[in-house]
Amino acid sequence: MKTKWFRNIGLAVMALSLTFGSVSAVSAASKLSGRIVINGSSALLPLTLQAANEFKKLNPKVKISASAAGSVTGPQSVRKGIADIGACDWDASTDVPGFSKFTGQVANKVAVIPFAAVTNSSAGVTSLTNAQLSGIFSGKITNWKEVGGNDAKIVVVNRAFGSGTRVNFQIKALNGTDFMTKGDNYIEVKSSGDMKTKVETTPNAIGYIDLVYVSGSKMKAVSINNVAPTEANVINGTYKVWSYGYYMTKGQPTGAVKAFIDYVQSTKFQNGSLKKLKFIPLAAMKK
Amino acid sequence: MVMSMMEVPNSGTVYSSEELGRSLESSSGKTFGRRARLAFYNRTFKIVCIASAVFVCLILFSILFLMGRTGILTFETVSLKTFFFSTDWVPENEQYGAFVFIFGTIALTLLTMLISVPLSLLIAIFLSEMTPAWLKNALRPVLDLLVGIPSVVYGFLGLTILIPMLRSLTGTSLGDGILAAGIVLTIMVLPTISRITDDSIVAVPKKFRDASYALGSTRFQTIVRVVIPAARSGIMYAVILGMARAIGETMAVVMVIGNTPQLADALFKPTSVLTSNIVMQIPNVPFDSTWNYALYMMGFILLLISLIMIIAVRLIQGKGVKQ
Amino acid sequence: MSAGKTTADHPFAARKSLNQFNNKLFTTVVWVVGICTVIFIIALLFLILEKGLPKLDWGFLYGEPSEIEEGGGVGPLLFNSFYVLIISLLISIPLGMASGIYLAEFAPANKFIGFIRICVEGLASVPSIIFGLFGIVLFVESLDMGLTILGAAVSLAFLNLPVLTRVTEEAIRAVPQEMKSASFALGSTHLQTIRRVLIPVALNGIITGICLVAGRAFGESAVIILTGGVTSSGVMWDFNPLSPGATLAVHLWYVQSEAIVPDAQLIAEKSAAVLVFIVLLINIVFRVPLWINSRKMR
Repeated sequence: MKTKWFRNIGLAVMALSLTFGSVSAVSAASKLSGRIVINGSSALLPLTLQAANEFKKLNPKVKISASAAGSVTGPQSVRKGIADIGACDWDASTDVPGFSKFTGQVANKVAVIPFAAVTNSSAGVTSLTNAQLSGIFSGKITNWKEVGGNDAKIVVVNRAFGSGTRVNFQIKALNGTDFMTKGDNYIEVKSSGDMKTKVETTPNAIGYIDLVYVSGSKMKAVSINNVAPTEANVINGTYKVWSYGYYMTKGQPTGAVKAFIDYVQSTKFQNGSLKKLKFIPLAAMKK
Repeated sequence: MVMSMMEVPNSGTVYSSEELGRSLESSSGKTFGRRARLAFYNRTFKIVCIASAVFVCLILFSILFLMGRTGILTFETVSLKTFFFSTDWVPENEQYGAFVFIFGTIALTLLTMLISVPLSLLIAIFLSEMTPAWLKNALRPVLDLLVGIPSVVYGFLGLTILIPMLRSLTGTSLGDGILAAGIVLTIMVLPTISRITDDSIVAVPKKFRDASYALGSTRFQTIVRVVIPAARSGIMYAVILGMARAIGETMAVVMVIGNTPQLADALFKPTSVLTSNIVMQIPNVPFDSTWNYALYMMGFILLLISLIMIIAVRLIQGKGVKQ
Repeated sequence: MSAGKTTADHPFAARKSLNQFNNKLFTTVVWVVGICTVIFIIALLFLILEKGLPKLDWGFLYGEPSEIEEGGGVGPLLFNSFYVLIISLLISIPLGMASGIYLAEFAPANKFIGFIRICVEGLASVPSIIFGLFGIVLFVESLDMGLTILGAAVSLAFLNLPVLTRVTEEAIRAVPQEMKSASFALGSTHLQTIRRVLIPVALNGIITGICLVAGRAFGESAVIILTGGVTSSGVMWDFNPLSPGATLAVHLWYVQSEAIVPDAQLIAEKSAAVLVFIVLLINIVFRVPLWINSRKMR
């Protein structure tokens, strides 16, 4: 009796799963399946999440999970084999200050990210030169009046070592000058959001952040060499502090990973969601 | 089982394990089946308990092993003396001196305990001895609730409310430092310490208090001389748990401490502790680098510090008993 | 307690009035601290809840998160929060309680057990990020599962084991010896004593411990970012334990630190309010059996 009962249940389950299986196979628009794990830069995370959402609607059988820590985690996880895509704010297949290149990895450009030096609105400066920025962030300039602002001590807010924003800002805005590491008016923060909060709430603070996050009246993005950090200035080439965002993969991408990267690079996504997220489409730069 | 079966006729002095409380000897007239079943349940239960204890130990030791094994690799390139006594932490230039962080962790924990232990003791006494029942019933869940507030929220409140407040009160230009972190941590460990203390004070038998009052003690004397000493084990446990949380807390501390590798010799100087340094840097370091090993080593040291503090607390407690 | 009757010729008069003074001073201090705490707690809760709670609606609780447009919800994340919490409690409560009972009742009183006890206490202080790293080594690298709900839940369970073990042990030890003796005297076996006497009496402490642990697990983000990722599967009621396992607390961290949605601040406030509210709910749910228990005992 018992065995028969079990067999019946088993049959029913099999039938059920078959039905469901066939139903979902029919309803799926694409036959693509697989699992994509993305790790790396947190600056690219909003873009990745949005792309993953849209991609999952088109390819319901692909499972995408994303996490984020720091830029360097991306290519490292790819090398270790625990992620398929490593989001990184610099081209990790080449050497940058502090990090040697990751051999065997392919950098796939996905977006243009502009950065800005930001100050608390109490600082009273609107423009700084590369030299002045280097002086401030290396700790040689300590008072705002030395660069034409109010008579107040400068509070320097820095990102932790390994942040992609930090690497890019150091190369492109500070001409590679080393950051200061100590001081009563020097702190480091962990993320873009923390940077924003800290600069907004600390009088006389200066920091740097992805241009996307600059909003409101408590924090101002300063011009660098008298060029305002705007999208237009990035595209026409006068504002230099920007970089590409990359998806690092082990060798050339294949299968679901390739489809996902293709989707992110597609005109539809670049001119649609990516633009809405205030990144600059790749196509705009190819002049 | 075979043994017990054989000796059943001999009035059942079989059960070698004293834990059975010899309860079965006296049970007259019960059938063998019930006894064997009970014995079986007892034994199974004990085995299950031992197995899970072993499992828990296994997990904990494998975590220890993971940290220790990775951490020890630090000393292939860095000397012990440099690591423990140098204040220069510049990993970009291969300088790995962790003294700043070790000192910061100890200083921060002591500061937190200094503020939170007396406060939470008073709160626990307030809760257990002085308030009317309805207020107790309302307050206890609320205190428990404070434990559940994510540390990110505490950190955010510290960043947006506490630090500007400290800044305007003291006139420093930044406000980050161990005082800010200590206050945030105090708020975080207060519920833990006071609730467990409260529970252990409630657990003191009422007859102790009655005896004390009968001898003519005031409430103050009863609480200080009788209730608290009687609840000491629980209170010590509460302090240890609170301390453990203070040492290990990361997400909130990292938002208010400033994360600068310099010695915490003033209350308002941006500094860094072991946890905040680990969480700031571990996502950003190459996997097979001395830097990474050093961070694991710091995690291991964190564990050692808390072990030392726990043993110290236990020693103090032991002395108290002898008095 | 009647201070008025003190007569001048009483030999201990001075001392008694000093005692009375101490007593009054102490009572005042405790009351002041107590009331300050009450006010502080209310202010703190008000601070967290006032911004978020009034703006809550079902759309937010049920909806899917959005990266671009305002008005994104936290539905799948909230679901994941509960799912992860339940799985982790299912693992950690039996294990933690059983080993707590072992330490309290069965373990021999020798140096080795003392060492283990101290280690367990010490591990309660290990920063959660280390448990996260352990989770990565175990689930992502060794088992190659990717970032999953299961990985997050098990890592979380590991994180909570030390606390649960110690809380259970403490609570069972606090049970008066007479009760245990009485139970044995009535002919109970050890198991019966533990089940019918020790655990019910210690339940108050154990449940406090579970509440602490559940609250901590619910608000934990560091472990889950590493082992569960910051994505959810994006749909409600996804019971597959191998789906990505971001929880509400992780979402709160994400929204506060990286999101560029225009209403990020608002989402953070609402998420914080929801988190706190649910922790309160968990406390109440766990306490109901306790109340019933205490009614029964009286």
